[in-house]
Amino acid sequence: MIVLGYRVRMEQRLSTPRSLLVMVPVFSVFFALVVGGIFLAATGHPPIGTYLKLVDNGYTSFYGITDTLGLATPLICTGLAAAFAFRMNLYSIGQEGQLYLGMIGGAWAGIALADSLPTLVAVPVVLLFGAFAGAMWVAVPALLRARLGTSEIVSTLLLNYVALNLLNYFIFGSTGFFRDPTTSFPQGRPVAESARLSPISFFTDKVTNTYPTFFIAVILAVVLFWLMRLSNYGYETAVYADSPNTARYAGMNSAWLQSSVLLISGALAGVGGAMYVVGPAGKVDPGLLQVGLGYAGIVVAALARYNFIAVIVAAVLFAGLRTGGNALQISSDPVPIAIAVVLQGAVLLFALGGELFRRNKVTISRVQAAAT
Amino acid sequence: MANLAVVTSVAGSSSSSRTSQPALEARGVTKRFPGVVANDAVDFDLARGEVHTLLGENGAGKSTLASVLCGLYRPEEGQVLRNGAEIRLNSPRDGLAHGIAMVHQHFRLVDRFTVAENVVLGHKSLSFVLATNDIEDRVAAITQEFGLPLNPRAVVGDLSAGERQRVEIVKALYQGAEVLLLDEPTALLAPPEVENLFVTVRAMTHTGKSVVFVSHKLGEVVDISDRITVMRGGKVTGSVRRGEADVRKLAELMVGREINIVPRRAKSPMSDVLLSVSQVHLERDGAEILSDINLDVRAGEIVGVAGVAGNGQRDLAEVIAGLQTPQQGNVTVCGTPTARSGALGARRAGLAYVPEDRLGTGLAPAMSIVDNMVLTRERGFLVDRKSALAESEQFIRQLEIKTPGPLTPTRKLSGGNAQKVLLARELFAVSGARVLVVCSPTRGLDVGAVEAVHALLDEARDAGKAILMVSEDLDEVMTLADRVMVLYRGKITLEQPGTHADLERVGRAMAGIAS
Amino acid sequence: MNSNIWLLTFADAISIATTLILASLGAILTERSGVINLGVEGMLLMGAVTGFLVADSSGSLWLALFVAVLVGVALASVHAALTVGLRANQIVSGLAMVIFATGLSQFIGKPIEGDPLPVLIRPIDFGALSDTPFFGPVVFGHDLFTYLTWVLVAAASFYMHRTRPGLLLRATGDAPATVDAQGGSVARIRWVHTVVGGALMTFAGAWYMFARSAAWNQSATTNGIGWIALALVVFASWRPIRAIGGAVLFGFSLQVPFTLQAEQIRILPPTILAMFPYLITLAVLVALSTPRARRLLGAPKMLGQPFVRDER
Repeated sequence: MIVLGYRVRMEQRLSTPRSLLVMVPVFSVFFALVVGGIFLAATGHPPIGTYLKLVDNGYTSFYGITDTLGLATPLICTGLAAAFAFRMNLYSIGQEGQLYLGMIGGAWAGIALADSLPTLVAVPVVLLFGAFAGAMWVAVPALLRARLGTSEIVSTLLLNYVALNLLNYFIFGSTGFFRDPTTSFPQGRPVAESARLSPISFFTDKVTNTYPTFFIAVILAVVLFWLMRLSNYGYETAVYADSPNTARYAGMNSAWLQSSVLLISGALAGVGGAMYVVGPAGKVDPGLLQVGLGYAGIVVAALARYNFIAVIVAAVLFAGLRTGGNALQISSDPVPIAIAVVLQGAVLLFALGGELFRRNKVTISRVQAAAT
Repeated sequence: MANLAVVTSVAGSSSSSRTSQPALEARGVTKRFPGVVANDAVDFDLARGEVHTLLGENGAGKSTLASVLCGLYRPEEGQVLRNGAEIRLNSPRDGLAHGIAMVHQHFRLVDRFTVAENVVLGHKSLSFVLATNDIEDRVAAITQEFGLPLNPRAVVGDLSAGERQRVEIVKALYQGAEVLLLDEPTALLAPPEVENLFVTVRAMTHTGKSVVFVSHKLGEVVDISDRITVMRGGKVTGSVRRGEADVRKLAELMVGREINIVPRRAKSPMSDVLLSVSQVHLERDGAEILSDINLDVRAGEIVGVAGVAGNGQRDLAEVIAGLQTPQQGNVTVCGTPTARSGALGARRAGLAYVPEDRLGTGLAPAMSIVDNMVLTRERGFLVDRKSALAESEQFIRQLEIKTPGPLTPTRKLSGGNAQKVLLARELFAVSGARVLVVCSPTRGLDVGAVEAVHALLDEARDAGKAILMVSEDLDEVMTLADRVMVLYRGKITLEQPGTHADLERVGRAMAGIAS
Repeated sequence: MNSNIWLLTFADAISIATTLILASLGAILTERSGVINLGVEGMLLMGAVTGFLVADSSGSLWLALFVAVLVGVALASVHAALTVGLRANQIVSGLAMVIFATGLSQFIGKPIEGDPLPVLIRPIDFGALSDTPFFGPVVFGHDLFTYLTWVLVAAASFYMHRTRPGLLLRATGDAPATVDAQGGSVARIRWVHTVVGGALMTFAGAWYMFARSAAWNQSATTNGIGWIALALVVFASWRPIRAIGGAVLFGFSLQVPFTLQAEQIRILPPTILAMFPYLITLAVLVALSTPRARRLLGAPKMLGQPFVRDER
């Protein structure tokens, strides 16, 4: 291919140099910022100034970073959930619904069971019920996939909307168990105090939006990373993902592997929803619907190339864009928060475009004048 | 219609010599692949209305020649002539334009489409709006003319292998093919379907079409062929006409050869029976795959199972390895019955298995040598990679496996080195395995690697393992086996001691001729 | 019970179905070629907002619709470049497209939030015909584009099942290797249908803006219709004609909660009713899971799989 007098040559790579693993994400962020900058400039906002404000509000100021870590907490969970399934070539996009169900399951435990329990027991119980509810929400797609081979893409997607309406039903459509009986305003019934954690103050006297659940999410990621690396289960899923025939040859049970991976993925997303209960919400809160943490989790996982540790980094990056964008909206020169969402989408699109360089060696040289 | 026009114009230009010139001819065709000369100066010709069979074992070069003739491969040297005029084929589409079509062993059909839709897919002269009734009528006309019972409206996904093959043939005829190359057309067919195919082939030759029949099943082709050309090692070894076709002579041309490899036999006396298969029956989708299989393998013995592909060898290996459960019969490994205990049960009883497909089945291609070393061993909650690493390094040194290191993915290894990794794991790394089932262990390997693999198997035999070797390569069986068996259509039809095997009888049994 | 209000609900369902039909038709064409584009919701929003902006500044409905189509072509081209050209994961690319397009539509739509619509798409006046019982509202109560959509579905169905390129399209989703062996270009077929599909999606968004919405209301403007359209593709088992029936059914279930509320009928809470389209689609998916049904009516076999020619 010849472009403007330069010859662009592409050769397939056999292996990816390590430097690219860093370069592709860095350049993706850079080009996303350029694209966002164009839109900012076109609408009369100074790009550099806006970005500086965004970084300050999202990452460097005290409240910025604590808000970001708080938002990143459930996002890490949905990111881990997506990474866990996608690594096995199971494209579950049901994290959104599993997250809601995790919140519902966690809140149920927080209301029904936690009253008589000490915090040290109540919080894990709430998280476990959230995990269980998330796993159950993917049970039908998992069964269909393992037994009949039905595509999990569509079945998990459909259940997201059932979950959304279920959540709306509990809060807006009925006055049942999950609805706060003390007010006519539609909101969730608060869980027991013992099932709540207080925010971390980071050695100050300020009230932040970061909860200890952030560290639980980080520990979850690290444990998963090592467990999947070292354990037999991680080994078997890796073999199956690489070559199903080899897994069969080695006597592995493919139906079990597929369904268990989907169930664990659902549990991870469910924990994220339950963390919302023990953390900021303290009840079933339809406010979670607005954030789209489930779909964002898939994006985070893809950006992290399904590496569990990298999911933490990608989730914090994404959450920071969101909190930074929030703050932009209420400044003197209000910039729509949507710019943060544009940046999120653009980063991933460029990262996908980076596949070109990951797979091919691209060389550019001047076209030699043909000898006549 | 455009194709027909091309065909007639080509034919027309040489109409004067039409009767004397062959419909299709190869002169001095040479085709090389990395490391192999698949066709070495091959001459071949096909008269109008003739059925000419290319006979040979796997790897003899017959499929390569057919691919050159249809335009799939371009030869390095030599010419292809159609009705006496040289033609240059850059793709199968060019071949079609000259009225040459190949029906591949693996069908290329859309399951969801009807027969008629499949037949016309991609056809150049197709109008923008499909005249479905018209197309179905024309397809029906072809099926009737050539005795190919097919409903044009049937959905291809519902059809049997034989019917799908008919769809491929109808497709070639619809596209105006005058010369049909059928690659191993009987490989997937049940016996009655083979009969149907022969009726069709005769119907085609009656209307002046010519057929190249590529096969390794000697017994089947004698009846249908006007001429049989035998290939071996990329060269033509002989050619006979109808009536002269002497099965014994053909078998000799096909498999009879001077064995220039030193045979390796058991050096020490054999002892206990470690692997025993008795009265095994296997059915799949109502078809009998294996019937009444009985065999024993003793410690320190290699039993070779010979036979051409598709006669149940793979299924026999998978039954012993616990990957398929037979409807009847028993398998005993080191005294433990394993026929119904799955792959893990067979392994625990002491079985190791080297499948034919190295990279897609025996090894996980994207995973490292170290990770592949632990594939078939007992693993606890955690995977012990430390000892696997030490083991891998040891094998790399001992077996001279060429690799940048033990953490290299196996897909980056050459075939020979990948096979060494696989054999090392199954022979030595798996603790306690005393029985080995190995399938086509040297397929696709170069001469040096073949020697190395044979030496390894010989060594394992001396170490007292019981080895069942299933191979389509008769040389290999004759070189290594202490006993030779022939599997034909799911039955063991011949058993002979390896040292005094009657090569002719083995060849005939492989071809399905009772001696 | 007032039977007239149910009739109007039904007529309304037919109208709302137009967006669903257009969007799912776009998705059907895309998916039949073997590419899945999950970005429908984002595409609808971008179509709606760019349509609004162009109409706002030019006053021309036709220009607005045209620009919306161009935006669809551009966005779908990015998806095609990533998934067909670079063989990136189609699921991930589609979701990135949802996020990017949703964010972008809200960003550029900020200034017009809550503004009245600059132009409207109105039902055609059929005079006396519109007053006939039943047929009046159900058949003669719609705008030009609703009728054109019905024609388009018939045309798309004809294209897919009765023409040469349609045959190739269906083969590409099921057996790209076969198409390749026949000399067809899998990449070109996938590009073209992904892009045309994308154009239909943004057009659906623009139509919805001018025909069904009161104002640009950020992501609540389309309120998940794009995702319903994806479910509808499965419900219709990848056939355009069946999408009409499904779209009316889904449209009905979207409208019924309002009617029930207006009539003060409480059979089932609206949130539970709103689950029905998804649960029905899930049931259809399960029913399609037998091997034969999946082969005949199920998803294109190679949906979501990048095509790589076997090298030897």
